[in-house]
Amino acid sequence: MSELAIDVQHVVKRYADHVAVRDLSLQVPRGTVYGLLGPNGAGKTTTIRMILNIIAPDEGSIRVLGRPSNDASASDQIGYLPEERGLYKKMKVRAVLQFLGVLRGMTRDAADKQIDYWLDRLSLRTPDKDWGTAKVDELSRGMQQKVQFIGTLLHDPDLVILDEPFSGLDPINAQALKDTVVELRKRGKTVIFSTHLMDNAERLCDYVCIIARGAKVLDGAVSVVKAQHGGKHIALALSGEVRTGVTAVLSDTTLVTHVDDQNQFFELELARDATPQRLLERLVAAGAPITRFELVQPSLHQIFLQTVGAEGVEEGMSGQG
Amino acid sequence: MVRAKLWAVIRREFLERVQTRAFVIGCLLGPVFIAGVLFLPAYLALRNVRVAAASSLIVIDATGTGLGERLRTTLTTPASAPTASTSASHIEVRVTAPNEIAAAESLATKAVIAKTVDGYVVLDERTLRGQRARYAGRKATAVGDMRRLEQALRQSALAQRLATANVNPSLVDSLSQSRLVLESERLTEQGRGSDASRRANLMFAGAVAFLLYMSMILYGQMVLRGVLEEKTTRVAEVVVSSVSPDTLLAGKVIGVGAVGLAQQIIWIVATLYLGSLLAPMLMRMAPPPGQMAGADAANVPTMSMPDVHVGSLLVILAFFILGYGLYASIHAAVGAMVNSDQEAQQALAPVMVLIVSSAIFIQPVMLNPSNTVARVASMFPFSAPIIMPLRMGLVPVPAWELAVAILGLMAAVVAVIFLAARIYRVGLLMYGKRPSLGELARWVRQS
Repeated sequence: MSELAIDVQHVVKRYADHVAVRDLSLQVPRGTVYGLLGPNGAGKTTTIRMILNIIAPDEGSIRVLGRPSNDASASDQIGYLPEERGLYKKMKVRAVLQFLGVLRGMTRDAADKQIDYWLDRLSLRTPDKDWGTAKVDELSRGMQQKVQFIGTLLHDPDLVILDEPFSGLDPINAQALKDTVVELRKRGKTVIFSTHLMDNAERLCDYVCIIARGAKVLDGAVSVVKAQHGGKHIALALSGEVRTGVTAVLSDTTLVTHVDDQNQFFELELARDATPQRLLERLVAAGAPITRFELVQPSLHQIFLQTVGAEGVEEGMSGQG
Repeated sequence: MVRAKLWAVIRREFLERVQTRAFVIGCLLGPVFIAGVLFLPAYLALRNVRVAAASSLIVIDATGTGLGERLRTTLTTPASAPTASTSASHIEVRVTAPNEIAAAESLATKAVIAKTVDGYVVLDERTLRGQRARYAGRKATAVGDMRRLEQALRQSALAQRLATANVNPSLVDSLSQSRLVLESERLTEQGRGSDASRRANLMFAGAVAFLLYMSMILYGQMVLRGVLEEKTTRVAEVVVSSVSPDTLLAGKVIGVGAVGLAQQIIWIVATLYLGSLLAPMLMRMAPPPGQMAGADAANVPTMSMPDVHVGSLLVILAFFILGYGLYASIHAAVGAMVNSDQEAQQALAPVMVLIVSSAIFIQPVMLNPSNTVARVASMFPFSAPIIMPLRMGLVPVPAWELAVAILGLMAAVVAVIFLAARIYRVGLLMYGKRPSLGELARWVRQS
């Protein structure tokens, strides 16, 4: 049993007019929650599709659960929720789920038991109403998302891959999804999800990999990544109006290289040679009404902006989570 | 394991389609339609015969010989012993002087217009010489009626001339009684068939060709819509993460093919059942054979079974499977190439040209199943599935031609499936612009 759930080595995928993924390597340890972060068009979905053997890489190798990714037997241990969701509209919910279960190597009976469990758990089956007997297109969008989610987890996969799972979810379903991810992790499953929402990634992930324009920018355990970029970030809160003297201090690039106005407080990044003590001195001297001055670890959001840079933002990234 | 997944795909494709209202309605209406096409002409023909038998006629006899009386006897007396209820015909003979024909005719014309009679016939000198007679009436276009009248006239004129030549009257009757019917037979290696079974064969072969043609279009479209649905609802991505696109394609084509086969079996069985109910009804309608002159008898479709052998049924099945496989794969590739129904219909146009041009050959081949056009069309892979079974139902086809058709079709099916599977694999997850031919070629190369 390999220690790695997924081992991607030097993978390249080219399309007619562009390179979607260039020399990407990443390792996902078993039993972790792994976030694949990047702006839209960074190559997240292409990478996921290659891991799932939906498309083949032009170069490099991918091993999934210790087996080559093109080994068909691996697919029965994988659950996949694609970014673009959809089900057979005219089929009954239970029939769709049975079909998806059998495609993942379950017997019809085993699938039926799991369907019962999940319909109850996600309250798609109550004493009043059994949505399992309804057709998919009779369900609300939120309910369809639940059904799709059941289809992903029905066969109790060891590896769960979720592509942009939070997009289009209402807050209740989003919370249910987070709870489920945590529960899967507790049961020793490996979860990979791609997102451009840094907040979710920060709260859920053990490991992250940030990719932009098809190439890896950084990866590693979230704590390590933060430590590497830490020690230089300060949360600053002021009461009342910001005076011009304070603004001058914050604009001094020998002290502060980056200011992110978060409304409730500022997230500051110190210049390389500056110290927190020096900044505090200058702020006090400028008469700033400080209510909070704290050395913080950078948010993934900050790290993301810092590493991917402005170009990533221009490519349509929305990092606000 | 792969087999279990393939089976799951086939099962879904089959069950989801046979449970639709469209399928059930199709199964119910199909036999009604087929029975209508097969039995309505027979029903109408039989009704005409009955009407003809009940027709009324004025005979203007200006020959001065009693030819009119003879004609009446010939028309009203069946060859065999007259049965009850036969002579509903009302025939009135008006003996006229040759110079009063015009007056008699205008009188008769009034009767026709007043609908007291259906028509009148004028007999004169020339009729007696065996040259001509004239008929005018409301039914001048009813071919069966006219043939019957013509034959009766010839017979009566002959009898009259024999009588004028002083031949013994009893001899005249027995000699002039002629009900000659031309019975044609179809000679094949399997033996001979009657004229009726030849017509049944023609009808059967035509029906089979039409059914094959319909199923290529119908079930091809079904495959296309299925592929398009998976693509537009994005289900395809989940499914191909569990099974290979090739398995999905195979399952879809086989599943829809099974739907087609099931529907056609239901149609055929139901049509035969309806036929067994309707045929005795038609038989009861038909007058006893003796009452109809030969020409009439030939016009009435007889309820005769086509001489179909198990061997030819197997060949038809083989052509159905190969032809369906060919066109279904093409349709699947088209479905994977496009993003909407509208685009699909556009991209499908070249495929439809192939199918429809095969159907255009059906009629010429039925008329002339052995000429070069028919032989080439029956061996060309894209028309063979429709034209070859048609030809085989009509004439004995040389074994080598059948072999060329089947082997060529098999080769085409393999080639098309190979190309279609590659286009399908790439196209299934491609959205946006429809690919150009160059891009298609790249899809085929890269996958």
